[in-house]
Amino acid sequence: MDRITLPERPEWRAKAAELGFTFADMHGEPYWDETSAYAFTLEEIEGQIEDPCTELHGMCREAVAAVLADEALMERMGLPRLRWEFIRDSWEAGEPEVYGRFDLAYDGKGPAKLLEYNADTPTSLYESASFQWLWYEDQLAARVLPEGSDQFNRIHEALVERFAEIFPPDTDLHFAAIAGAPEDYATVETMAWAAREAGMGAHYTDLEKIGISDQGQFTDAEDRVIGTLFKLYPWEDLFADEFSAHLAGAQCRFIEPAWKALVSNKAILPVLWQMFPGHPNLLPAFFADDTKGLADAAHLMLAGHVTKPIFSREGASVTITAQGKVLERATNRDYDRHPMIVQGYQPLPVMGGFRPVIGAWMVGEACVGLGVREDRALITQDLSRFKPHFIEG
Amino acid sequence: MKRSRAVSLGILGAAAFGLAACQQEEQTDAAAFPDEASCVAAAAQSGWFTREDCAATFAEAQALHAETAPRYESRELCEEEHGVGNCGGDAAAGSGGGGSIFMPLLAGYLIGQALGGGRAMAQPVVPKAGGGYATPTGGTQLSRLNSTGKMGTAAFAKAPTTAGQPPMTRAAVQSRGGFGGAAATRSVGG
Repeated sequence: MDRITLPERPEWRAKAAELGFTFADMHGEPYWDETSAYAFTLEEIEGQIEDPCTELHGMCREAVAAVLADEALMERMGLPRLRWEFIRDSWEAGEPEVYGRFDLAYDGKGPAKLLEYNADTPTSLYESASFQWLWYEDQLAARVLPEGSDQFNRIHEALVERFAEIFPPDTDLHFAAIAGAPEDYATVETMAWAAREAGMGAHYTDLEKIGISDQGQFTDAEDRVIGTLFKLYPWEDLFADEFSAHLAGAQCRFIEPAWKALVSNKAILPVLWQMFPGHPNLLPAFFADDTKGLADAAHLMLAGHVTKPIFSREGASVTITAQGKVLERATNRDYDRHPMIVQGYQPLPVMGGFRPVIGAWMVGEACVGLGVREDRALITQDLSRFKPHFIEG
Repeated sequence: MKRSRAVSLGILGAAAFGLAACQQEEQTDAAAFPDEASCVAAAAQSGWFTREDCAATFAEAQALHAETAPRYESRELCEEEHGVGNCGGDAAAGSGGGGSIFMPLLAGYLIGQALGGGRAMAQPVVPKAGGGYATPTGGTQLSRLNSTGKMGTAAFAKAPTTAGQPPMTRAAVQSRGGFGGAAATRSVGG
């Protein structure tokens, strides 16, 4: 693994604008940055990222079954008891998952370590599956990258295959995101492209415009009944919304399925550590009030520890502590009200002054691609940059 | 090879969504006025509507308001949607024991140029709670009256008849918008 300076494509900004990639710059800072790229060997990709993530996903599935079977663990997940049955039903019915993104700390030396699993509403899908792919093809054509190199990015094809696998042809699917968030919309539309290519009907509605019919079914902005809903909106927030009482009776299939509320939940991290202690891709993790567990594991957390709420996005409300001192504390504290977990601190590698986090994309039950984000800060937040990657020939 | 052979590249907006692509609606010249006199005053500078259009569309907007304005089972509910002091009893319901149906007052009207010629189009607007105006369905919203600009022709589609229908209850008013409460204006992804 290396960070390599490369010439930018001369016309990439014009190309981004033409394609509708309007957030290539965000908050006055570059978001898409191709002045350098991450290079991996094929062994690193397959042996250290792809296979371990496919295994981690399998472990998460085992953890879901374990949590559903244990009321005390269910309590830990911070989800309303009134919705437990709905979550359990989605699991027992075998409702299939479509996508997710593991965030990993990886330095090309030791094993990749799972920081968290965005298993419900991962974004940056467009950058990863599409714009990064275009970067690679352009740089290959321009001979900036050599013949025989490659990119770990089967995300789009895998999504097409996944939709075709889990839905009959011509199924009407609705895609919903919060209005006015271009990054979210890009992820939803990328998903919809794949669904259409798989032969599905794809319809968009703003999430806020969803209504409820006399028969208790969800309807889109034009009063069409929603049979299947891809919602780029977290389950824990859906459960807090006014319509949550209608979820179970709405005869609606959801993507991601409701059981993903247990996986995208950082309370799954201590459960995984309990079930698979010492696994090379896991960091020690405990519920914050598990004082005995934390005391017994002190020797595993000499590098420090990270406190995270069970629900949070973009690094919000995360605090890193080492040797009794706060190393970094996220300025956004929006999620402070949630229960906390404590995870062993795994410092990110520093490459060219930046700290990369590996985003490993899952489609179905397999790892199919990756995207790298890097940040100058210790906590990867919403000012991080997306970086392209390639596999050396 | 560990990458896709081909991917979709554009996220220009509606292209991925089948139905949205069919709904590219046509735009037309439109203007909003609080009353007929304001329209008449503006007609002289306008290239596309006359004093006569003002009178005809205002009469049509008044009739459409009586027929299609949203109707509520209580003044309180109506005022929550349209603002305090902006609602009145439903005159049309008077004969049937009346007094229990409330509707927003007519705040003004939209006049639109018919595509391909013909009579100017009309649509009433009612006040919204918190400011601004909307067509009877709420589908088109205006920040102010005495304004002109381009508008989708759908703004002039006739709203469903509400006169003589049961008024909306609180449950009916709340039948949309039950999701998204936690998001407000932020991006929710990770």
